[in-house]
Amino acid sequence: MNPESKEVLHRFLRNRLACMGVILMIVLAGFSLLAPVATPYTYDEPDPLLGIGATPPSARHWFGTDVLGRDLFTRVLYGGRTSLMVGICATAVSLVIGVTYGSVSGYCGARTDTIMMRIVDILYALPFTIFVIILTVVFGRNIFLLFAVIGAVEWLTMARIIRGQVLAIRQQEFVQAAVVLGYSKARIIFRHILPNALGPIIVYTTLTIPQVILLESFISFLGLGVQLPQSSWGLLIKTGAESMESYPWLLIYPGAVLSLALFALNFVGDGLRDALDPRHTRRA
Amino acid sequence: MRPFFQLCLAVSLLLLSGTACSKREKQARPDPADAADTAKILRLGNGSEPQDLDPHIVTGVTEHNIICALIEGLVAEDPETLDPVPGVATRWELSADGRVYTFHFREEARWSNGDPVTAHDFVFSYKRMLTPALGAPYAYMLYLLENGEAYNKGTLDDFEPVGVQAIDDRTLKITLAAPTPYFLAVLNHYSWFPVHPPTILQHGTIDQRSTGWTRPESHIGNGPYVLASWEPDQKITVTRNPMYWDRATVKIDEIHFHPIGDHATEERTFRSGKLHVTSTIPIDRIAHYRDNQPDLLRLDPYLGTYYYIFNVQRKPLDDPRVRRALSMAIDRATIVERVTKAGEDPAYHFTPPGTAGYQTDARISDELGEARKLLADAGYPAGEGFPSLKLLYNTSDAHERIAQVIQQMWKKALGIEIQLENMEWKVYLDATQRGTYDIARAGWIGDYVDPNSFLDMWVTGGGNNRANWSNADYDRLIREASTTLDPTQRFKTFSEAETILMKESPIMPIYSYRSKSLVDPSVQGWNPTILDHHPYKHLDLK
Repeated sequence: MNPESKEVLHRFLRNRLACMGVILMIVLAGFSLLAPVATPYTYDEPDPLLGIGATPPSARHWFGTDVLGRDLFTRVLYGGRTSLMVGICATAVSLVIGVTYGSVSGYCGARTDTIMMRIVDILYALPFTIFVIILTVVFGRNIFLLFAVIGAVEWLTMARIIRGQVLAIRQQEFVQAAVVLGYSKARIIFRHILPNALGPIIVYTTLTIPQVILLESFISFLGLGVQLPQSSWGLLIKTGAESMESYPWLLIYPGAVLSLALFALNFVGDGLRDALDPRHTRRA
Repeated sequence: MRPFFQLCLAVSLLLLSGTACSKREKQARPDPADAADTAKILRLGNGSEPQDLDPHIVTGVTEHNIICALIEGLVAEDPETLDPVPGVATRWELSADGRVYTFHFREEARWSNGDPVTAHDFVFSYKRMLTPALGAPYAYMLYLLENGEAYNKGTLDDFEPVGVQAIDDRTLKITLAAPTPYFLAVLNHYSWFPVHPPTILQHGTIDQRSTGWTRPESHIGNGPYVLASWEPDQKITVTRNPMYWDRATVKIDEIHFHPIGDHATEERTFRSGKLHVTSTIPIDRIAHYRDNQPDLLRLDPYLGTYYYIFNVQRKPLDDPRVRRALSMAIDRATIVERVTKAGEDPAYHFTPPGTAGYQTDARISDELGEARKLLADAGYPAGEGFPSLKLLYNTSDAHERIAQVIQQMWKKALGIEIQLENMEWKVYLDATQRGTYDIARAGWIGDYVDPNSFLDMWVTGGGNNRANWSNADYDRLIREASTTLDPTQRFKTFSEAETILMKESPIMPIYSYRSKSLVDPSVQGWNPTILDHHPYKHLDLK
């Protein structure tokens, strides 16, 4: 490990909240992955003893059971699998598209920039729901399409943020120096400009993941996302909210778990930004 | 760190709002009348926004609730039994052969602009309803008229031979294709309601839809109320009709119909005192009202059946053994006790219990062993090789729960996997009409109290036969029943037909409906009726 990354790691580890976030995410992801062995229940069958019907949390069912008598803890774990997978994959898709598009647009400037940004504006104006419906009708319903669809919509904001960063950075002397040295555009963008924009990229990425998780629940509500009886956090919260007044635990537990995951992601994002920011290196 | 704090704020707000709700609940609910001044205003929750208010075009319960305040048919309904009582007609005679009705109109029957309601208006209305170019979805209700079907299908160009004639301004003769014991009850369905001919013709031709004659500024009716205002997605207001013949009986000055589609929102609106009656109640709130405020809760028998349709043109559902196995393998008692929870009766045949005294031995058994054997006979022992069928339902919390439970029951009992697919209401309607589904959820509410309303829909090519099922014996029995005069014999024929229906199982009855609503104690005369009709002129507010 080179001394530079060692220092980054050191700085990150000094940030207690960020470390907690990492541990929390590992625990959540670990439990979700191990869901089949972590609980004695299945996600689609009612408790054989109690039958169909909501029961409050007890020693037998830590999070209680939902209106169809299914163990909520189990459903939260299985839901985590879907939500985390959608969150990570869709964000990765949006990251790749958004960063490339935004930096090219920002660096090239002038007419290229205008045209590329107007295209983004047009896509912004496109109603998301119709876009999703068209795609799912054409390609059928499957979870990987969901990643692509959400990613394909979420990159717009990312592209704008990156463009703004790149516009500011490319005025700086070190970029002009690189241009004078005759480096290719791609090299300047990816080696010189983007590392300096890493902060906003990482922060926005960690914020995109929760957004995507919520988007997924909306698509599921339209009947285009997760296939019942499978679950996702968004779906559990949506159904929980419907019977909130009668069975509050159906909203509280999935809500708490989702909030925990979002907290953890935000802490990790903050920690990473502080640790990676090249300006910090110079100061140190 | 800002997004982080925003999140904290959002979460704490969410929790706060949760506790705030539960606190408010304990207070007494304000009286809906407080909001009004001296006028008696009845505020009704009415499900969704109506399609239209043209009685010849609409098909839903939502629309019915409004139209029956605006228009009155030849007969009206008794507020308790729904038996036919004099409406536009004061009296009527039936010929000895049971085919010819003569209605005598009351002199003081008036349209809301003062024109007298005449027999010619009814002839015009029935002609409009049957005009092929109008495309009235309920036109088949008027096939009871002699030659009505021929005129609607275009095989008859002249309206003269159709069985409706104005003898003079105040005498209407109706000739039926066959004796129909339930004919007077059918007259209270809006497809038999009159429209005001000059208004229709002023806004378009006889076969034109959506001409705007139903807008508040143009609408002319003959019912106890007139249309005062229509704010889409907000409310529809009807006020007293000063021209109505029985205006002395009308006690409530205004009725407001609020289209609130979301059940939870409607319930909250009721709780805050802004509604007198809700159109339904969220499943999870039933227990709360039963325990704490039973005086507000109404769960009454409702003439309707909740069922699943099998698309009999798709494999493997073309095999009656498969359909019966599926229908036998669900535990209906558990569904009504644990999922729907409003005291519904499990349905083992299609016609709801006690439809005008009709009894039948037709029954789908619930023997699991037999179901497994049937499935094995059909070539799918223990569900092996059974294709992954799709179960379609329109987006709704209640349908989703039932679908998931049935999915699980089929998996456990028969070892077959079914996929769930939900669609928005209009997309769902389109899919079931075009037959692009495997299994679909459906509900059927009787249009009148007679088994015919449930059984004649399954004849070959019937407009509502979405299973695309066809059985010659069944068609013959239904036709036979329609011409049988003896009630006992007629019911026996229906029972035979229903036995075939259950044996072939193009449909899987699940439960018989209950009408579910919250009714404010100040509403007087809101009687439980099997069609959930509540003739407004008999209601009062205390």
